Amino acid sequence: MKRQNARTLALIISILTYLVVGAAVFETLESKQEKSHKRRLDARKHELMRKYNLTKGNFEELEHVVLQLKPHKAGVQWKFAGSFYFAITVITTIGYGHAAPSTDSGKVFCMFYALLGIPLTLVMFQSLGERINTFVRYLLHQAKKCLAMRHTEVSMANMVTVGFFSCMSTLCVGAVAFSHCEGWSFLHAFYFCFITLTTIGFGDYVALQRDDALQNDPRYVAFCFVYILTGLTVIGAFLNLVVLRFLTMNTEDERRDAKQRALMSVGKPRGEVARLLPFSASTSSTPVADESAKARDLKGAYTEVLHFQTICSCLWYRSKEKLQGSIPTMIPQELTFSDAYMQQNSNCPHYMEPGSTGCVCSPRQCSSISSITSGLHILSPFRMCKRRSSV
Amino acid sequence: MKKQNVRTLSLILCMFSYLLVGAAVFDALESETESSRRRILELKRNEMKKKYRFSEHDYREIERVVLQAEPHRAGRQWKFAGSFYFAITVITTIGYGHAAPGTDAGKVFCMFYAVLGIPLTLVMFQSLGERMNTFVRYLLHKVKQCLGCRRTEVSMENMVLVGFLSCIGTLCVGAAAFSHFEGWSFFHAYYYCFITLTTIGFGDFVALQKKEDLQEKTPYVAFSFMYILVGLTVIGAFLNLVVLRFLTMNTEDERRDAQERASLKRDRGFLSRGLRRERNRSRSHSTLFLPMEEGTSCTNLIASPAEDPERQRRTGAREGNMWRVMLFFVMVIYLFTESQLKINTGSIYMICTSRECFEMWRLK
Repeated sequence: MKRQNARTLALIISILTYLVVGAAVFETLESKQEKSHKRRLDARKHELMRKYNLTKGNFEELEHVVLQLKPHKAGVQWKFAGSFYFAITVITTIGYGHAAPSTDSGKVFCMFYALLGIPLTLVMFQSLGERINTFVRYLLHQAKKCLAMRHTEVSMANMVTVGFFSCMSTLCVGAVAFSHCEGWSFLHAFYFCFITLTTIGFGDYVALQRDDALQNDPRYVAFCFVYILTGLTVIGAFLNLVVLRFLTMNTEDERRDAKQRALMSVGKPRGEVARLLPFSASTSSTPVADESAKARDLKGAYTEVLHFQTICSCLWYRSKEKLQGSIPTMIPQELTFSDAYMQQNSNCPHYMEPGSTGCVCSPRQCSSISSITSGLHILSPFRMCKRRSSV
Repeated sequence: MKKQNVRTLSLILCMFSYLLVGAAVFDALESETESSRRRILELKRNEMKKKYRFSEHDYREIERVVLQAEPHRAGRQWKFAGSFYFAITVITTIGYGHAAPGTDAGKVFCMFYAVLGIPLTLVMFQSLGERMNTFVRYLLHKVKQCLGCRRTEVSMENMVLVGFLSCIGTLCVGAAAFSHFEGWSFFHAYYYCFITLTTIGFGDFVALQKKEDLQEKTPYVAFSFMYILVGLTVIGAFLNLVVLRFLTMNTEDERRDAQERASLKRDRGFLSRGLRRERNRSRSHSTLFLPMEEGTSCTNLIASPAEDPERQRRTGAREGNMWRVMLFFVMVIYLFTESQLKINTGSIYMICTSRECFEMWRLK
């Protein structure tokens, strides 16, 4: 079965399993408390009804009024500050629901607003997140140089650690601030920040809803907005670093397959193949042309390895040595060739260190979207294998 | 300035202006209704308080009881079906909030659950969406062949059109179903489907909340879950087709820059100036916000060093204009915000006086 199909099926099954497991755990944790809470509330309700001699109908009317007044309790929700808050919850898809458009025209505008705003926001956060990652990478590189370490390249592990710690500290800073300003416990404030910054946005805890803060406390309002937007940027940077490459897995594989089919079916002579390669790879064109025959022979042997590697987890973090160790006898020539290739790359002063794209191989190998070097990839299955494992 | 930085800055500006415009429009649409509604409800409340002679303390007690009992009105929320519904709203980040974990242990588990579940779900929907797009592309190709069209390749416009129509179709199907089962108007059901499938999830409209639906109407429950997951897949496929390439723009540009720098260093050794000039001429003028087409080797807003000075002067002028436009935008946004918040930071005064000073300095 095609790799992409197997991967997709595996993902669907794991999501369904994850949902079932989650549901079971939530049921265990919450069901009993729900029952007892409901019983207590019902008891209190009946007490109050008896005290004031209310009929069921009366109480329902009262209930209706109280529920309708709920958003108004928190103050004016639709003046400029409140509307700005609402607009943020729409385009970031947080969607607390503390205020929702009640007029039909508001609902229609909300839908069109979201239609354009959500992709714009997604692209903006990823763009800014990537810039932040690049800057952090540069800082870490300088820091490593200052500390006079042996390896001054910034590895993926470094970046992930820094990213993770910045996420945690963002959440903690927010938790401290909101627990102070809103009067929540630290855990509840942390939970609020987490639910907000993952854009889930239940709405059980919502900031700026106490004492008409939206109108009376502009500095706190500004802090909240800035916190939400910066927090989302930090989380976005982390996602850009870790998750984004997985979102393009299938597309990259399709593209690679298509190119492979095109190249194999046309069956160009060796010279022409070498000419397809860009200037930069011209120095390595002769060994590559020689490899093409070997490549075809060993292609079958590779498919199983590739299959397994990509269905399972991303193996980019595996060092080159481990990979060499796992298939020692299969392709020694490719190994040495790729060694030489990597050497050539690392001699170049502006060679992008492995960490930048999260791949052990060079960035050229990682990207199939910059397809100029794809010819090279297809002719060297070992590198193809490594590139796939990088995704 | 580097292309990626320019792009990022302009995106930030765009988003801020978008937020401001949205806020102003929502203010205009909803503020009046809100204040009149509030007045009516408060009148009613005061009426009732007088009628039943509630003490202030007791009224607050009633309020508390009613608000806390709200999720219970819809039946048991945390039995298996309800928990499954909740788990869906967590990992898809819809997050209605119709039921939220009450225990601290539930909150903590919810956070860990989301940390792993959300990326897994994102990857799953994009993966499945890409598969769907490939399949649709294949179908369209066959259809074009059958209809004997002259060109049987499936263009991007075809795919976008089909994707868009399937999104609208999904929303309408859901709207029809939910308006029937939940008793909402078609418009409100459509609004519910839209808010759900974009994962905003306000929670003002939530399915499966009519009394005991979660426990009794099992086929309807199954339909709701399937609808949410399938709908998110369709939307995910459309996003995969249209938006995903934009998310990797900066990363690709960085990669391309690095390759260029690497290749330039290498080229200096063996290539003549002539070859390099030829490459420059064939550079396509990529725009800031379009992802690169495949097969182009190198494009850059700013020419790499040691290139012709004429080009550099032109790009320098372009950059200057771009900064002026951005500065203008920032000023507009600032003034607009001031007017909306009805505050006066004296910025207009400062701008005018600074302009005067600048003119005087120039004349000297």
